Amino acid sequence: MILSFLVTALLPFGLMTVFSYQTYFGGLLHRVSEYSQEVVGRMARELDEYFLDIEALLTKEQDFYLDQLIKLVENNDFNNRKYVFRIWEDLNNLQRVKPDVEELSIIFPNGRRLSSYGLYTLDYEVFLADYYRAAGEDGVALLGPGVNFLNRLVVTMVKPYPAPTTEGEIYLTADINIARLASITDVKLGETGYIFIADNSGRIIYHPQAEHIGTVSPFFQNSVTQGFVDGFNGAEGQRYFLTTARSPITGWTVVSVAHADEFGAELRPIQRLTYLVIALILAGVVLLAAYLSHALSRPIKELQDLTQRAANNELSVHIEPYGNDEIAQLGHSFNKMIRRIQDLMAENVKEQELLRKLELESLDNQIKPHFIYNTLDLIIGHLESNKTEEATYLVEALGNFFRLSLSKGRETVPIASEVEHVRNYLFIQQLRHGGEYRYEIIIEDEAILNKFIPRLLLQPLVENAIYHGILRANREGTITVRGRQEGEKIIFEVADDGMGIEPDKLRDINEVLRGIRPLNNEREYFGLRNVNKRAQLRFGPEYGVVLESTLGHGTKAILTIKALEGDGHV
Amino acid sequence: MLKNPPVLQAVAFLLLAVFVIPAAALAAGEEPLTIAVLPRALGNPIFLDAFEATQKKAHELGVRLEWVAPFDFSSEAQVEMIENLIRRGVDGILASVNDDEEIHRVFRKALDQGIAVATFDGDSPGSGRLFHIGIDNFRAGFAIGEALVDVLSSRGLAQQELDTMIMTGLREAFHHEERIRGFLAATEGRVNLRIRDIVENEDTVEKSIILLEDYVKHNPDIEVIYFVGGWPFYVPSEALPNFQRWAQAGGIAVGIDLFYDALLLQKEGLIQYLIGQDMTSMGALGLELLVKYIRTGEAPPEFVEVGLEHADESNLDRLLEIHKPWLVK
Repeated sequence: MILSFLVTALLPFGLMTVFSYQTYFGGLLHRVSEYSQEVVGRMARELDEYFLDIEALLTKEQDFYLDQLIKLVENNDFNNRKYVFRIWEDLNNLQRVKPDVEELSIIFPNGRRLSSYGLYTLDYEVFLADYYRAAGEDGVALLGPGVNFLNRLVVTMVKPYPAPTTEGEIYLTADINIARLASITDVKLGETGYIFIADNSGRIIYHPQAEHIGTVSPFFQNSVTQGFVDGFNGAEGQRYFLTTARSPITGWTVVSVAHADEFGAELRPIQRLTYLVIALILAGVVLLAAYLSHALSRPIKELQDLTQRAANNELSVHIEPYGNDEIAQLGHSFNKMIRRIQDLMAENVKEQELLRKLELESLDNQIKPHFIYNTLDLIIGHLESNKTEEATYLVEALGNFFRLSLSKGRETVPIASEVEHVRNYLFIQQLRHGGEYRYEIIIEDEAILNKFIPRLLLQPLVENAIYHGILRANREGTITVRGRQEGEKIIFEVADDGMGIEPDKLRDINEVLRGIRPLNNEREYFGLRNVNKRAQLRFGPEYGVVLESTLGHGTKAILTIKALEGDGHV
Repeated sequence: MLKNPPVLQAVAFLLLAVFVIPAAALAAGEEPLTIAVLPRALGNPIFLDAFEATQKKAHELGVRLEWVAPFDFSSEAQVEMIENLIRRGVDGILASVNDDEEIHRVFRKALDQGIAVATFDGDSPGSGRLFHIGIDNFRAGFAIGEALVDVLSSRGLAQQELDTMIMTGLREAFHHEERIRGFLAATEGRVNLRIRDIVENEDTVEKSIILLEDYVKHNPDIEVIYFVGGWPFYVPSEALPNFQRWAQAGGIAVGIDLFYDALLLQKEGLIQYLIGQDMTSMGALGLELLVKYIRTGEAPPEFVEVGLEHADESNLDRLLEIHKPWLVK
């Protein structure tokens, strides 16, 4: 049971957990991606804006001082203080505006570089090669990263100066300290995430770990995509989540890198919480199962014990139900059933008592001395009159009467036996009473003779017809016993054409038989009540005895029973 | 006015040498020497004479000149630059520096790597540099002190106690301190100066102007100002209204550094006496001596003195004809 509880409790929770995990992970990934995209996008825009500003610094159209200086340089005229000093002042002022610009300079065709650091010579051939390799259609080039005159890591923007008088190109340059790129990309992405910038060949322009600067990024894919791919990427045996944004002005790509493990780390508290909840549910389910097991099985076990005791005829058992649940209702039903059994037992006992009383009364009536004496005298008289055959009949009838009255103690007897018992009784009583009445027994459906009937059910009705119908009328009469079957019912009518019953009394008798009127005493209509009660106890309230009578014309007792198949079985 | 004949002789000798030696070196197809010259600051026009002269001299000598400095003076920036010059493998360094420990360290490092190091203008005697070319700063200070004594005596103020302000670049600069020391030596006992303040302008022109204007505004009773260098003299008198009012009210100013704009101020009566140093020789001759040392191993004297130039009422007009405007302001 506990296992089924666990499965029942944990399966939906497990499914919900998996679903929630996937949903949360997807949501987290989406949020991280959105956030990273926003971050790198903003950085790319900032890069664009910054380098557009730098390009603006380098945009000069026919600067008088510069043009004059160019002419002097071309002619190796060193009386240049006026122009050089102005240019140094200009460069210094520009650097104050853009403090991340490490050095601003003008590069002359002779390799001389007039810069904010002063005047010195660079390797012009190397510079030109780098410039032509990186220059775009507008002539602007981004060189580096590399170290400048002061050994500072810089990227250099180069823009040609339109100097019509010179034979060679004049270039304006701005060295931007790599720290500026660091400040643009200075956003913390989780514990170990970082942002780097690479050019369109994957070469790293800026990386928080300086040793990577200048190398080709392991995330750069040369194959199909020719660049960086957003999403999960593998590098150096680990998984990373990349988000990229391109800076159109620089042509660089800003790449945010987040360790895939950190996503798991993000979910770790939720995992821990889930495990905790699962553990709590496990404990709760176990405790609940134990409690429910105890709470359910205890009353069931008690019910089982009591049922067993009840089955062993201990009908005094009683359950004390707790609460109003199904078990309690079962307990109530059990108690109700026990009470019903007790009632039925009591009724059965009562029926048996009635039956015994009837038997005793019947025997008592039947063995009344004058019944026996008269019968015996009658037999003697027949013998003295040599009416041997009649005497024999009487002896046989009397014997049969007693034998059938006892019926070996069985509760039910075949209808044929009961009818034979009544026939013997009528024969004996007819002889006893000098043939004051006739009798006939008509079984309309022979099949009912094989059915069964509680014993001694017809005889009291016949006795009433004799004593209360025919004999009280002081005239000859006829007693007719009829039997027939109507569906499942078997109906016996014991009719006499005697004195009949007054209507009030008839109604009173029927009301007593239907239980409408309480009894005045136990002897009241004892015979009829006895038969009626036994029939109703046995078959139900719709069965029993009803009297029909017309005063001065006779009475009919109608007994309705259910056809019993075999010994007591309906 | 050059007052140092030995220096002239040396110049003449070296001029001959540099016309011969570079030609020989270039003819052999060798990589030209790279000599780095570090003025104190790019933004200080006093070095422009030296800048032009040194370019010309480098061209004559066939050496590659690197003229590098921070725009505003910073000893730390100079040290960083020298470190990188060492890294770049220059052949010689000629610098105007402070005499501090970091300069000593970086000079020794250069010397250890075979780089010839000398100083001009601002010396660092403890650094082990090969030589220094410039003025005798004590003597320059002494000379301007003597000039002040003459000015005060002529005005009958020699015995009067006069509140005095000294504007210097940096107290850590050896040559500035020497100039103050010489000035005080010349005036002590001869005039009655009470040094109220020594104002440092961090060796920058802009700051010197601001400080000067602010000082005379809040201290109009100051009677004498001694400018250890000519930082505030690069602007016309209209740019120095407070100083102008102060001078017109009888304030007496003398200073070291002589150039066209400073002479104009003197002409307008804002300054009574100027002594100039020959920055042209400092640059050109200093470069020559250094290149000669590198090429021949012939070391110049540890101190090569260039002459002082005096400007007073007697020669002011002539000097204004000789000196050309710098045209930087």
